[in-house]
Amino acid sequence: MNKFAITIIVLFSILLISSSLIAENKTVSDTLNTAAVLEKETTEQHDLPSPYMVLPFIILLTMIATGPLFYHHFWETNYPKIAIALGAVTVTYYLVFLQDTHSLIHTAAEYLSFIALLASLFVAAGGIFINIDKKSTPWLNAGILLFGACIANIIGTTGASMLLIRPFIKVNKHRIKPYHIVFFIFLVSNIGGALTPIGDPPLFLGFLRGVEFFWVIQHVWYIWLPTMAVVLVIFLIIDFRNLSESEEEVNYTGKFEFKGGKSVIYLAIIVISVFIDPAVMSWVPSLAPLPIGIREIIMFSVVFLAYQTADDEILKSNEFDFEPIKEVAYLFVGIFATMIPALQLISYEANVLGDRLTPGMFYFATGFLSAFLDNAPTYLNFLSAEMGKFGLNVNDFLEVIKFSELYPIYLSAISVAAVFFGAMTYIGNGPNFMVKSISERAGIKMPSFFGYLIKYALPILLPIYIIIWAIFYYNQV
Amino acid sequence: MKTLKEVLEKKITGLYYGNRVLLPFSCHVLKLNIERDLITDFSPCCKGVHISETEGFLEIYFHDYKDLGESVGKYEKIKMIVVEKGKDVFDPKNRIPIALNPIENHVLEIEQLDDNIIFIE
Repeated sequence: MNKFAITIIVLFSILLISSSLIAENKTVSDTLNTAAVLEKETTEQHDLPSPYMVLPFIILLTMIATGPLFYHHFWETNYPKIAIALGAVTVTYYLVFLQDTHSLIHTAAEYLSFIALLASLFVAAGGIFINIDKKSTPWLNAGILLFGACIANIIGTTGASMLLIRPFIKVNKHRIKPYHIVFFIFLVSNIGGALTPIGDPPLFLGFLRGVEFFWVIQHVWYIWLPTMAVVLVIFLIIDFRNLSESEEEVNYTGKFEFKGGKSVIYLAIIVISVFIDPAVMSWVPSLAPLPIGIREIIMFSVVFLAYQTADDEILKSNEFDFEPIKEVAYLFVGIFATMIPALQLISYEANVLGDRLTPGMFYFATGFLSAFLDNAPTYLNFLSAEMGKFGLNVNDFLEVIKFSELYPIYLSAISVAAVFFGAMTYIGNGPNFMVKSISERAGIKMPSFFGYLIKYALPILLPIYIIIWAIFYYNQV
Repeated sequence: MKTLKEVLEKKITGLYYGNRVLLPFSCHVLKLNIERDLITDFSPCCKGVHISETEGFLEIYFHDYKDLGESVGKYEKIKMIVVEKGKDVFDPKNRIPIALNPIENHVLEIEQLDDNIIFIE
């Protein structure tokens, strides 16, 4: 935990330096809240970063992809230092050369929101023990995946993943293969959460900007449903084939066991706290210029309380360890920092080319980038570009509502792409990495970064996503 | 040398010093999991883990870890699939999942994995 504590101290030092610089420049009003800070910053003009500054991001992505494959020991020992060092290069460039502290505090706020949500869901779900003592069948597996995909819209893809990954592995322990986990990542950790703003962070950012809560389900369900169905059918076909290869005589009681009621309360607190934001509830106080809000404080408190009050036996049964969330925290501190130049350059190009971009182009651009970058800022940048195309301002709450009513096809394209394409790689969405890590600790040899992409994501998901484009977004203006 | 059965029944503990584990029995190790490392290659050319059998005990060196007491979390365990020395390795019934838990004063708890903990063979 020492290294983790040092990283957090380094991160907060960066935040404090940024905050104090901002305070000195009086560029941020005292009354701004975290969301408003983000809004204001996007409206302010700064010099564009040099395209060469995308290099730290490319290096980090390349190392995440190749490290576990070709220099495993070096990577396992040094990935925290590498992620922080590459992030520090970008932070230094913004502080010293661009003197753009706004982008840094913006990113710090997004990172803290991201890690607060992931960490709190991870710890709360770690205090819940579910055991389904039934024979693993393809139908039971499909049922668990469908259930997980549905509850992802209530407790988020991270919450659903953390809650169900262990029971899913246990049910299949006599015949589990990597594809079980891969389909779990596809459906529960990503695609499932496309129906509500709680499901996945990009949709929540849209909600904070003005997209109505039920807009997503109204405009995406008819894409979500067939996609879920097709992916589930593919899973069933593969799972039935696997079943015939591995018939085994085991006695099952058929019992369903659930322990950890306290942690369910913590999960509920996390879900409710998602809405405790000054942009949603006006009575919520702002902590600006700090890049953290009441919501994040509640979530970090849940991390502490949920761990302290969890049942020891449940933690032992779940083999609870902070390592998976530490890995996400380290890697994503680097990813969030190094992707700032990439996102700004993409946003600039999207705004310049806005007039020529169709919903189909927005769909693929958002999707491709969401597979490799964090999908939340990607969504926001393309929302800004789409609205700019029609002379609307993403920072105006009423104009976002107007945009969602007048041009639903554009908003639908980036909403679907941001969530669905997160399943294309391990780094496409936060829970992907955590599910992989938990599975490896359970003794499952997971595919490498490229193995996942080439063997599963490209042949299974990409054709489905292309069909979605052809049916729903091709030739739409 | 004690048998694995005896060690599990009498709850006899092993030892660990830094990255070195001493088990008071002899066995064939088929699969080992520490943290997220899944190790099945125990050949001399592989640097991850080295197993050496000495009279009276079995030594395992984890080259990628400095101190097992620090590396293995409070609720985590080192998990292994083993077969007691002298028994048929090819008979699935002889394969026993065990867990090693480094606690204070270099003591290493050895127990059979219960059903709640997932370790895929």
